[in-house]
Amino acid sequence: MGLEKNTGKTETLKYVLDRLPVQTKRIAVTSIGIDGETTDQVTRTQKPEIVLREGMYFGTSETHYRQRRLLSELIDVSDEGTSLGRVVTARALTRGKILLSGPSSASSLKRWMSEMQQRFDIDLVIIDGALSRMSSASPAVSQSMILATGAAYSANINTLVSKTTHVVDLINLDLTSERNVDTLTPLEKGLWFIDKDGELHALDTATSLSRDIHFQGMDGCETLYVAGALVDGFLEKVRKNKDLKRVELVVRDFTKVFASPQQIRLFVKGGGRISVLSKSKLLAVTVNPTSPSGYVLDSDTLCGRLSEAIGLPVYDLLKDNH
Amino acid sequence: MQLKNVIESPCGLRYMLDELDLQSGFARRWLLDSPMMTTGSEIAAAYDELRRFVTFVEQTDKSRIDTLLFKLQGLKDIRTTITNLHHGAVLDDIELFEVKHLAILATDVSRLLAQHSMADVVEIPDLEEVITILDPDGMKIATFYIYDSYCAQLKDLRAHMRQHPEQQDDLLLQASVLEEGVRKDLSRQLQPFAVAIEQAQLALARIDVNLAKAMQMRQMELCFPSLSYKGDCRYKAMFHPQVKAALAVHGKQFQPVDIILGHQPTLITGANMGGKTVVLKTLTLCQLLFQFGFGIPAASAHIAVRDEIYFCIGDEQSVEKGLSSFAAEMKNIDAVIKASRENKRILALIDEPARTTNPTEGAALVSALLKVLAGQNMSLVMTTHYDIEPGKSRCLRVKGFENGSMDYQLVEVQDGEVPHEALNIAQSLGIDNEWIETARALLETSNHQT
Repeated sequence: MGLEKNTGKTETLKYVLDRLPVQTKRIAVTSIGIDGETTDQVTRTQKPEIVLREGMYFGTSETHYRQRRLLSELIDVSDEGTSLGRVVTARALTRGKILLSGPSSASSLKRWMSEMQQRFDIDLVIIDGALSRMSSASPAVSQSMILATGAAYSANINTLVSKTTHVVDLINLDLTSERNVDTLTPLEKGLWFIDKDGELHALDTATSLSRDIHFQGMDGCETLYVAGALVDGFLEKVRKNKDLKRVELVVRDFTKVFASPQQIRLFVKGGGRISVLSKSKLLAVTVNPTSPSGYVLDSDTLCGRLSEAIGLPVYDLLKDNH
Repeated sequence: MQLKNVIESPCGLRYMLDELDLQSGFARRWLLDSPMMTTGSEIAAAYDELRRFVTFVEQTDKSRIDTLLFKLQGLKDIRTTITNLHHGAVLDDIELFEVKHLAILATDVSRLLAQHSMADVVEIPDLEEVITILDPDGMKIATFYIYDSYCAQLKDLRAHMRQHPEQQDDLLLQASVLEEGVRKDLSRQLQPFAVAIEQAQLALARIDVNLAKAMQMRQMELCFPSLSYKGDCRYKAMFHPQVKAALAVHGKQFQPVDIILGHQPTLITGANMGGKTVVLKTLTLCQLLFQFGFGIPAASAHIAVRDEIYFCIGDEQSVEKGLSSFAAEMKNIDAVIKASRENKRILALIDEPARTTNPTEGAALVSALLKVLAGQNMSLVMTTHYDIEPGKSRCLRVKGFENGSMDYQLVEVQDGEVPHEALNIAQSLGIDNEWIETARALLETSNHQT
């Protein structure tokens, strides 16, 4: 998943694909839709091709399949259409280049993945994520992720570190208790709270986006669950309610958090806690220190600062490659 | 008229289709496009076919059925490809894959059905030759690319490419010219099979639909109807599957209804909440299911074929046309009267006509409608709350409210007098007592005066 265009997501993907053990594992690669980078569609500038290795399975659109530059064997044509035709699945018979454009929604992506696992015994699916379709990074779809960030996201090293740290913090939000997971996972919409006796109650307000939310009869509320999106307005109301100062706010997963870093910080500072029902594992962060305008950050400083802030390894793949 | 034109009928046909366990989207499309059958022989043949599938489902190992269903999930709509092939176009890899996939599927399903003596029920054209063309190495798996064995030159080129990856782009270009030649050749060889491929696709859809109908019959306890050639209909223990399922959710049971429709109009009267509308809905549903060859929701059914089926339910407003509910209803019934004069076999089910207007004119309109339609060659079932002169109609009455519960059975009565149970029913619903008692007092006063 790239945090911005030109943060080096495709480079990261190439790097990973080149190093996967294709001889011992069955690997499938696809992308979510035609990528959110619609300007590519408008300006007709080529989306970067990726190199597949012999034996890899891949899902792409009919249009991109016809433009492939490798020998491959077709194994499935789905009923689901995308703007570039149906999604076709094939296996590379030689090494070569392909444009990726897979299923266009998280749910169709999930369907494609489970079919790959069931029918072709796939061990690992790699998804080329899209900024505008953060849902593909949801733990409901993918188990773990690699985040690409860089000067394109912000050319100021401090801003870049803090903005990236915010996303990493969201991905690393704590899992709620096992009991909460069991109770809350089936609830797909609405606002709910659990009182100190462990009783579950629905909040009458329709969603967290509603304008007037009345937290009534919530004395002793310990856990507040937001099935939908967590936004600033809602978080502020929770924060300003004296009964909810120390509440544990549970969201489905990090892709549901749309609140700003400031609001989250204030909420946590006041004694609140945000946790998730399911969690993806962040494997690594990669950086591209060069911004599209040509400005270059110092790679070592950037990697060092970021790694220190997030407590995870940070790689500049182009530099490390040389 | 096709199934898709009546699918939204207020009788609840959509529910039956939604509950149909079809394996492929293509079968669903094929079913929705299928025309309503209007001859006894067509319908009889359709039910004979379905009967074979019911026996097959009953007598075959579940794992075999599951295998068949799983295979049918692979049925895709490749009509565009078939048309291209038919017109002599050169198919691309994706299209050739689709043809191969379908040919293998058709052969597999055909073999499976033959093992259970079902080969004669739905005939699937033999596509072995198509498979041979698209599977030069005899691997019998549904994958495809332009295989090396199609062209020796291509094989050499690819071998060279593997050894010299640095020349790949150049060699791929050379290979693509050869590959296009192979595609042209394959398409030419396949063209004569276009019709057989299309027939195979339709046959598979028909098998999918018949299996789904057969499973639905078992699951919903539907019956095979017998054909009536004299225009009369008889239903024993008829039920509405959707209403039955909705009641079951609340732990309640649907009370099945027996009904006979003769040649004279049938007038159904009865208290509110007596299930009159459900009877009309169910009759409409059964008639449509019959003419599209589905199982019938009843213990037994004897049904006559109709050219046209009209279900007029009072409260539909036609917003787009700017008609009020009364105007929309009048227009609908008008269509029934016009059609009845065209010497067609018609079934008309009219729910409480003219209910939204004043009772004096309303009753006059209903009586007149009965007179006008009674002379025509049609089967008419009508419900009403108005006290009207039944003329030659048969009158049925919902048994109604007895000992605190509703008996939905229909009983034949001699006159069309409507039951006066509205106040009792309202009371049982816990409606404001002052309102009900005041109404009762008013009624008594007016009864004394007359």
